[in-house]
Amino acid sequence: MADGLRIGNIELSSRFFIGTGLYPNPYVQMEAIRASGAQVLTFAIRRINLESTEDDSILQHVQNGQYTYLPNTSGARTADEAVRIARLARASGLSEWIKVEISANERTLLPDPIETLKATEILTKEGFTVLPYTSDDPILCKRLEEAGAAAVMPGAAPIGTGLGILNPYNLGLIVEDAQVPIIVDAGLGSVSDVAQAMELGVSGVLMNTPVAKARDPIGMAQAMRMGIEAGRLAYLAGRIDKKRYASASSGLDAFKLH
Amino acid sequence: MRESVVIMGGGVIGLSCAFELRRRGHQVTVLELTRCGGQASGAAAGMLAPYSENVEGPDAFFRFCLESLRLYPEWQADVKRISGRTFEYTHSGSLYVAYHEADMLALEGRLLWQREYGSSGSIVEGEALFRLEPQLSRDVRAALHTPEESHLYAPHYVAALEQACRVTGVRIHENLERLSVADWQNEIAIQSADGRVFGADRLLVCSGAWAQELSATFGIRIPVYPIRGQICAYEVDGKPVQHMVFGNQGYLVGKENGSLVCGASEDVAGFDTSVTEKGIERLRKWNKNAFPFLADKTPFHRWAGLRPATQDGYPLIGALGGAKRVVFAAGHYRNGILLSPATAMLAADCLEGRAPAEYAQAFSPERFGSG
Repeated sequence: MADGLRIGNIELSSRFFIGTGLYPNPYVQMEAIRASGAQVLTFAIRRINLESTEDDSILQHVQNGQYTYLPNTSGARTADEAVRIARLARASGLSEWIKVEISANERTLLPDPIETLKATEILTKEGFTVLPYTSDDPILCKRLEEAGAAAVMPGAAPIGTGLGILNPYNLGLIVEDAQVPIIVDAGLGSVSDVAQAMELGVSGVLMNTPVAKARDPIGMAQAMRMGIEAGRLAYLAGRIDKKRYASASSGLDAFKLH
Repeated sequence: MRESVVIMGGGVIGLSCAFELRRRGHQVTVLELTRCGGQASGAAAGMLAPYSENVEGPDAFFRFCLESLRLYPEWQADVKRISGRTFEYTHSGSLYVAYHEADMLALEGRLLWQREYGSSGSIVEGEALFRLEPQLSRDVRAALHTPEESHLYAPHYVAALEQACRVTGVRIHENLERLSVADWQNEIAIQSADGRVFGADRLLVCSGAWAQELSATFGIRIPVYPIRGQICAYEVDGKPVQHMVFGNQGYLVGKENGSLVCGASEDVAGFDTSVTEKGIERLRKWNKNAFPFLADKTPFHRWAGLRPATQDGYPLIGALGGAKRVVFAAGHYRNGILLSPATAMLAADCLEGRAPAEYAQAFSPERFGSG
């Protein structure tokens, strides 16, 4: 049985959502995205040439791929602003999907949860497939789901920090309670971070900086892809319980067959 | 110790290194496959803009760019004095334009760290912005103004550098077609297509996008890719554009010879330097959003150059660990003109065995492993 991921009306075989920014050059960008196996690409709407998206400085390099675009509202400080940006993106024919990203602090770029919830409510009513980026608060994530989010995307740590999952306990609770896919977005740094996220049961990972800023972004994209796949398989396979003392892997003598 | 140095590559980096090494008393020979400055160097728009080109944070590359900007006033004066030639070098400052209120957060974030690194920049809006740049589109909501940035006329700068090298006694050999490294382990011997052999104590590799061809010779991975950059220029009356104007889709810079240079469309096309309709049209279509007077203008000149881009975006500068007689200075991507003085200093320091700045560790030519 295929272990697919459904978001809105799209069936995905990859659980890796990748950002298109920060790469050192177009060649590395294209090859890293290819190596990631990602089917969903995210980018900031404010950076895009909406008049002519095929001419855009970033999107022109990924034109030929069969990708689902997840444009984001980064830079928005209020729900109203995010909603306006989302409508611009849809009007340009880019995508029906929208990642709500609302930050009010230029140093931490942490999401504003109240404005995020408001924007999610409005955009859902307008028929968007909404994937809000939010804090790792279990109640808030549930509220976003109830507001109609197609998937909820809690951050592991502030954007671009590579700090990894600061609160795995919360993330576990979020997954336990969720009826929609949970995608960890922002703050991951390493393959062990993404594997940990997947082992906690999240449905996918969204990432940009740890791939784009690696010494070898193409190699790192492939490593992250494998980490996500390994973590997912491990989650489905079920890890062993932890024990305080050793137990011989060869078994006790009493149970041995002679 | 005075040494003989052979430099592979007569682009802006090779010539700058030659100029500096010669000034330090070394005997220098430059080997060029075609003509000096014939590739990325001559195709450059000549922007000296470390703040606008590095918007993410003060990493090693930004610090190197900034160091180079600081060297420029004295460096360009030296090149002019010694060559007896002149070239445009204009302290225009720059504007990084934003069209959405959502861009403000990013501009503010940039200012936060760039102010700590010598920028006196500020965000300008409304009337203040249009006083600075009167013809700018009224759709521009705000701009980050960085007074420290400047630009020069790259073809004339490279020609002056070449002349400065010649008058100080650098030997320059052009049209060599093909070069191979015949020996580097015992001594340096470089052979050209016509069978001549150029010997020296030291080798400096400044061959830009062509440096990758030396991977097998030195047994290291040299992931340098040619990225084609297409540029066009308009003929304009008076001086309609005062600053270098950057945006997410490209840049515009007005030169004192009456041209307005606009770049750049980047793509991956191997070593092909032809100009494409798509590459120029996307610039042309976008430009009216910055300057409405460009809506019905057609560029009078279009060209392309190959920018040597590395796998992590940092250049390769430094001596090989196992063979100190070989030094690299290649892979400067979009910033070869800006980085030419700082690279010349760093490469010369590496050749002379002086300890470079700590951030230069990030540029080690061996960081990508053995090949």
